[in-house]
Amino acid sequence: MLSSNVFRKELRLNRRSLIVWTLVAVTIIAVYLGFFPYMQDPDLIKALDAYPEALMKALNLNAALLGDVNQYHAGMVLGFVVLATTIFAFMFAGGLVARDADLGTADFLYTKPVTRGQLMTAKVVAFLVSVLLLWLVTFATSLVVGFLVAPDDFDVGAQAWVHVAGLMATLAAGGIAFAAAPFINRMQGTTSLGVGLGLGFFLVESVSNMTAKLDPLKYLSIYHYAGLAEAAAGDLSVTGLLVLLAVFLVATGLGYVFLNRKEFTG
Amino acid sequence: MPVIETAGLTKFYGKARGIIDVDLQVREAEIFGFIGPNGAGKTTTIRLLLGLIYPTAGNASIFGKPVRRGGGELYRQVGYVPAEVSYYPEMTGNELLDYAASFFPEADKGFQDQLAERLQFDPSRPVRSYSHGNRKKLGIIQALLHKPRLVILDEPASGLDPIIRVELFSLLEEMREQGSTVFFSTHVLEEVERICARVGVIKEGRLIQVSPIDQLPGREMKIITFRMAGGGPLAAGALPGWPEPEPVEGRPGYHQLSVQEPVNRIVGRLKDLDLEDLRISDPSLEELFMEMYEPAHQGSGQHAKQ
Repeated sequence: MLSSNVFRKELRLNRRSLIVWTLVAVTIIAVYLGFFPYMQDPDLIKALDAYPEALMKALNLNAALLGDVNQYHAGMVLGFVVLATTIFAFMFAGGLVARDADLGTADFLYTKPVTRGQLMTAKVVAFLVSVLLLWLVTFATSLVVGFLVAPDDFDVGAQAWVHVAGLMATLAAGGIAFAAAPFINRMQGTTSLGVGLGLGFFLVESVSNMTAKLDPLKYLSIYHYAGLAEAAAGDLSVTGLLVLLAVFLVATGLGYVFLNRKEFTG
Repeated sequence: MPVIETAGLTKFYGKARGIIDVDLQVREAEIFGFIGPNGAGKTTTIRLLLGLIYPTAGNASIFGKPVRRGGGELYRQVGYVPAEVSYYPEMTGNELLDYAASFFPEADKGFQDQLAERLQFDPSRPVRSYSHGNRKKLGIIQALLHKPRLVILDEPASGLDPIIRVELFSLLEEMREQGSTVFFSTHVLEEVERICARVGVIKEGRLIQVSPIDQLPGREMKIITFRMAGGGPLAAGALPGWPEPEPVEGRPGYHQLSVQEPVNRIVGRLKDLDLEDLRISDPSLEELFMEMYEPAHQGSGQHAKQ
């Protein structure tokens, strides 16, 4: 059962973080997608030939990607947005749980007539609502900027699925944070978790693109399962999205178990 | 039915001792003082009762219902004031109190305002701007605003000025008169002496004594403090059958001893001595407490420190 007062309070206490990270996502889209027309410069595309192939693969760069607004937006722009939103999710979801141990507010909140399960549900729902809002604003920004830079080519349907994939990756990151947060007693710990795992997954994904030998590493990164570029090409990875959903559900479920066992020693 | 009951309650933090085998019963509508020095296990016991930590062995119940993992409805009739009060710094006092009240539909805003007025607390300011004392007041108000049947306070008076401290204890006494049970830990024994009916003494994690405050071991003793004329020593063997008086620290010429005899007999035995000053008193809780805590003094009946 949802403890609605806790849910509202968690949303309110964390709204600043949500606003800041939404602005980050909006800025990335506005700047990078806004640059799309300049990416069509033949000299720039030719210059890509000078880069080592492995590096191009690591950065997920290729001429086709720069030549198509949908591929460019999914593979390049939203790639950075998803990196940012997963870091946000790690920090936000982790902070929702870890803050009470850090600030000492557990003595207040966890001695009220609500179960730890109800508290966790309120925090999970606050996270879900925040992430949905973030991705709705992100999608709206993508539509506006996409139609400004490529009114004839910007594919709303494909981009909607790309954003759904990004949302699922963000949820998976939040689930992992919910599972980890009961073991974290300092808010700084959630920042380290967010930056460490976010960049870690990004690095693993990049490295796995470099050679065939490293290719299996991609299964360790949540970004792989989002399949943003594939979604933009109309080849949505349903399996990948189900994996992300499963990660969210299982990890969040573990979060409930771990929080129930957590001891607030003060 | 006891309001609080523990049986064999034990908590270890890894290998570190928390509490060991604590059996405790707190009755309805009593003020129970839980005393012991820092690190004795008072806060551990309270956190176990509140389900913030879990026992290594044994069990606890509140209102006859077992304290289980995960908290919940059990705490609807409980108010808790922690020793270190920490709240959301971005809230104001009013917002925090409204948030606390939102867990209790029966909470009465009028009573909340009364509490704030009696404790001279301004709830309109941001939590981050409150001093330690004001945060404590906020903690007390949020714990009492729903008129709980059980109030658990961990070192409630620390950080409060003497006037507010007196007001707090009046409040707790009023709540007890209305049927609430008050369980509080402290190492300030004046507080206990002032309002508690019974006390539990915890030492190194073990509950070593639970009794009405006037029946604590040693309570029947009388402490005799005297000064001979001119400040000289008492002649050896002048008080046969009584322990040798010991000098009182910081009071030159004064001596002290404890005996278990009626006052008229004490006066009868002292009347022939050439005394300049004499005081016969009951032992304070602090003195009894020191007896229980100082193995060297255990059972000696001596109270040489003042």
